[in-house]
Amino acid sequence: MNKVFSLHDAVAKFVEDGDVLAIGGFTTNRKPYATVSEMLRQGKKDFIVYAGPGGGEVDMLIGEGRVAAYINCYTANSGYTNVSRRFRAAIEKGELTYEDYSQDVLMLMLHAASLGLPFLPVRLMQGSGLMKFWGISEEKRKAMPKLEDLKCAEIENPMVPGQKVVAVPVPRIDTAIIHVQQASPDGTCIICGDEFHDIDIAVAARKTIVTCEEIVSDEFIRRDPTKTRIFGECVQAVVKAPYGAWPSQCYDYYDDDDAGLKEYDKASKYQDAEDAKQQLAKAAAKAEKAAAAKPEDGKLAEAAQRAKKAAEDAASGVKIPETFKDYVDKWVYSCPDQEALLDKIGGSRLMRLKNEPHLGYSTTH
Amino acid sequence: MADYTKYTKQEMQAYAIAKNIKENQIVIVGTGLPLIGASLAKRVVCPSCHPIVESGLMDCDPVEVPRSVGDNRFMAHCAVQWPNVRFVGFEANEWLHDEDRLIAFIGGAQIDPYGNVNSTCIFGKGDYLQPATRFTGSGGANGIATYCNTIIMMQHQKRRFMDKVDYITSCGWMDGPGGREKAGLPGNRGPQMVVTDLGIMKFDENTKRMYLAYYYPFSTPEMVQENTGFEVDVSRAQLFEGPSPEIIKIIREEIDPGQAFIKVPKE
Repeated sequence: MNKVFSLHDAVAKFVEDGDVLAIGGFTTNRKPYATVSEMLRQGKKDFIVYAGPGGGEVDMLIGEGRVAAYINCYTANSGYTNVSRRFRAAIEKGELTYEDYSQDVLMLMLHAASLGLPFLPVRLMQGSGLMKFWGISEEKRKAMPKLEDLKCAEIENPMVPGQKVVAVPVPRIDTAIIHVQQASPDGTCIICGDEFHDIDIAVAARKTIVTCEEIVSDEFIRRDPTKTRIFGECVQAVVKAPYGAWPSQCYDYYDDDDAGLKEYDKASKYQDAEDAKQQLAKAAAKAEKAAAAKPEDGKLAEAAQRAKKAAEDAASGVKIPETFKDYVDKWVYSCPDQEALLDKIGGSRLMRLKNEPHLGYSTTH
Repeated sequence: MADYTKYTKQEMQAYAIAKNIKENQIVIVGTGLPLIGASLAKRVVCPSCHPIVESGLMDCDPVEVPRSVGDNRFMAHCAVQWPNVRFVGFEANEWLHDEDRLIAFIGGAQIDPYGNVNSTCIFGKGDYLQPATRFTGSGGANGIATYCNTIIMMQHQKRRFMDKVDYITSCGWMDGPGGREKAGLPGNRGPQMVVTDLGIMKFDENTKRMYLAYYYPFSTPEMVQENTGFEVDVSRAQLFEGPSPEIIKIIREEIDPGQAFIKVPKE
């Protein structure tokens, strides 16, 4: 069966508002940015999101207000942004419904989903805030039919009387989105390098969308079955999306885009122009106060001057720094598809990201 | 000529990390300083160690400093590429088999006298649901602190070393002797030391409270107490010798030449 779709059609057909969405990849590696971008373009929303260790991809969904609940274990573009900024701002403003698990527990929950288990006992999170604090109360959970009623529950191990263990729910995933190196029209996938939780979510989800660097024939992909990782019958859509993990990495193919991740780091500080103006005005006031407290410190006075100028320039519209909104306009909404995105990134820049075969990464990224 | 006789606080920390890794230990590292320390151990101080990362990449020996634990730089130079769940199973089985081979490095924003660490959020005037400052969340730290002996990396500041942390992300010795067992945690695992930019804290065998074990050539026990938000016993403190110029040369020229994690001051 031929499951090849355009990116547009795959997302239109298989991603529904309100889905429990599982995202593959690991912070800045093999994150399915192409699919996330298409979901943003099509206005898809209200997701309950499991991203495993998340990065910019989940941060963009949060920043664009598409997340009804985020089940978090870690969210950062490690090495570029210590804490993803839209994620952080949304929580600090009290605007995001979220839950915290440890990464171990969250990944085991996704694995349990792939095994079809009814619930999962673990000996993790005990004694910690992860059990004590609930981001989503039982009452609130009961109003969310796609989320289990409890975050966790301490129970006695029926096999070992007296032993306390923690029961955690097994997510019921509607849609999994993953990016792989090669796939064939029947849905069979080759993942090079670490699989992360991608196989687990592909098996567990009712619908799986695979974007890939290359589509190869059904015959070719099974020439060496030691390399194939996902059974085609677990997959609903195969989409050719070269550099579909950009700006994150894709093992054997390309490295992360240093410039792209740095641009996102800077831009995502500000939600939009209004937010930039407010934050820069606040920063200027703070710098002025610091300088006034130590009038003999020339460096503080200079910093206050600079902050004042930046705030004034932003307020008058002379110079507003790039914001999150600008970033998504530039790299998501103004690119109708992946080809347009690649044209915008540019040929030489993409070539510089290519992994050097003897190293497994790029020295010019 | 570059001057390798002077070193930064961070280089001292990385050296302290390397010196505390033992023969044949399996070392759970993240990125940042622990990775520099573990790389130094692997190359010079303790080549028999096995660095592993929580994404599931085992026995890593990266050529270039990785930026994340899932980085291609780890992936291309390791023994085995496991999914994360295998890593979790491995760390649990090490404890179940009573193997004492693992040592793990974790970090955080706040720590209390018993080594309980917060890397989730600082409440400030708010609460867990709307905190003043939000961080990434646990990552692998909670599971690591459950099943493994840990070395905790901290910046030594009063506002970070406090009597009670807002949120325990990774459990230390809880409230003292027997605290881990009471919470359902393995009692024979827990934090071994805290390596900061001012010294090395250990935990008293009887009380499980933090005490100063070592200060550095550029720090003093008084400095440590001044920058700690609770009473810390400094009576047992000894000097920890700084790294040799050869070690500093290796860090700067071989391990982190791009200064991804350790910035070298301009001469």
